[in-house]
Amino acid sequence: MTSAEEPPVIDDAPLADPAEVRRAMEYYAERGWTDGLPVVPVTESYLADFLATTGRDPQEVLIPMPHLNKNLTVRLAAINAALAGCLPEYFPVVLAAWDSFRNDGMVTRAIWQSTTGTAGFVVVNGPVRQRIGLNCRGNVWGSGFRANASIGRAIRLGAINGLGLRPHVFDQATQGTPAKYSCCIAENEEDSPWPALHTDNGFSADDSAVSATVIRSVLHIEARHTTAPEQLAADFADSFCRTGALVRARASGYVVLNPEHARLLDKAGWTKQDLRQSIVEHGFRSYRQLAAAGKEAIAGGTGWRLPADHPDAVGQQPPEDLDTPVQLINSIDAVHIVVAGAPNAGVSSIVETFGPFDRPPAMTKVEEKP
Amino acid sequence: MLERAGIPAVSLCTDAFRITAEAMANQLGFPGYQYVALPHPIASRTEKEIDEMTRDALPEIVRVLGGGLTIRPVD
Repeated sequence: MTSAEEPPVIDDAPLADPAEVRRAMEYYAERGWTDGLPVVPVTESYLADFLATTGRDPQEVLIPMPHLNKNLTVRLAAINAALAGCLPEYFPVVLAAWDSFRNDGMVTRAIWQSTTGTAGFVVVNGPVRQRIGLNCRGNVWGSGFRANASIGRAIRLGAINGLGLRPHVFDQATQGTPAKYSCCIAENEEDSPWPALHTDNGFSADDSAVSATVIRSVLHIEARHTTAPEQLAADFADSFCRTGALVRARASGYVVLNPEHARLLDKAGWTKQDLRQSIVEHGFRSYRQLAAAGKEAIAGGTGWRLPADHPDAVGQQPPEDLDTPVQLINSIDAVHIVVAGAPNAGVSSIVETFGPFDRPPAMTKVEEKP
Repeated sequence: MLERAGIPAVSLCTDAFRITAEAMANQLGFPGYQYVALPHPIASRTEKEIDEMTRDALPEIVRVLGGGLTIRPVD
């Protein structure tokens, strides 16, 4: 590898017939096997390098989609990881991500066909991060790191090519999100004062594990202004409870906390659990605030928020005092904490999920073939 | 799925979802499957507008269903 300061030059690039390279690129593009960007050509011999990293049967189904007559198999996941630009050694992480998506349950309930337009979100913990070069520090949301970029893209291409979820056809997202191109981060365990996400959920620090769910938005939290833990928690809770994101009765998501915020909280004696609990305590809006956006009532059937005078609103009377708080975050299991980013400023983020509201995230141990 | 099980059925969708409806029919082995497309949108219409839309769509729904049913007029 050349120095990072060196601008790209092309006169010493490996010799290949550019016309042949373009012909290969166009072959995939013409078949719609891309996300719009060029993909890496895949041959059976290259595919074999991916499949050699796992002991799993290539025909094993990772994501069943019976209503579309589709199954995402290990082989299809490998083809799409290769197309996405993964190296073969990334493939055990991609497999663990697909296992977590299946266990999370949103993808198999066809959420990626929904107009809401969610993206896959992948969090990696443990020693595999260093082994494959996953970024967990500055610019953690990207771009610039092959492992993060291509593992997230492997999920998206798996959805397009493996499950047939192409935009305008079976992917009916009204707008989608930029995270649909790729959305894979790693936890900055080294700069975190706290136990990591996977060790909080029963894995050993020596294990590598992948969590996955679906998200609509990543919100920027600018909070360099305070050293008071309660104020930080209130700032995070306010973003979790914004009415624009409230489809269902409750809110849920991740705080992706930069190490500076984590250290500030730790120095004040706060644990992750304390932060989660404080976000729950601040996790409400008044009935009046919800009503101002027409989201004060719940629909029978869908459970979606709507105005109290809507014919689908069921069984709710307005409180006598319209400033009565309506709890939107009911459990610490609706709020998960990941430490990531550079320890250089009070800038964190909120990731809005569609649940789970009352249980830990779906998480799978990375099984690397010896 | 219901029709595969021998139960007469008619699928409804709004015209914003025609491409998906036709892709779904092909994917499940029923190219040319007949369904009824309603005007989009649904969610932001009043109850009265929904009733009117339903009344307008009923003859086509009955035609796709196979006809022969007695329809009680909507009050």
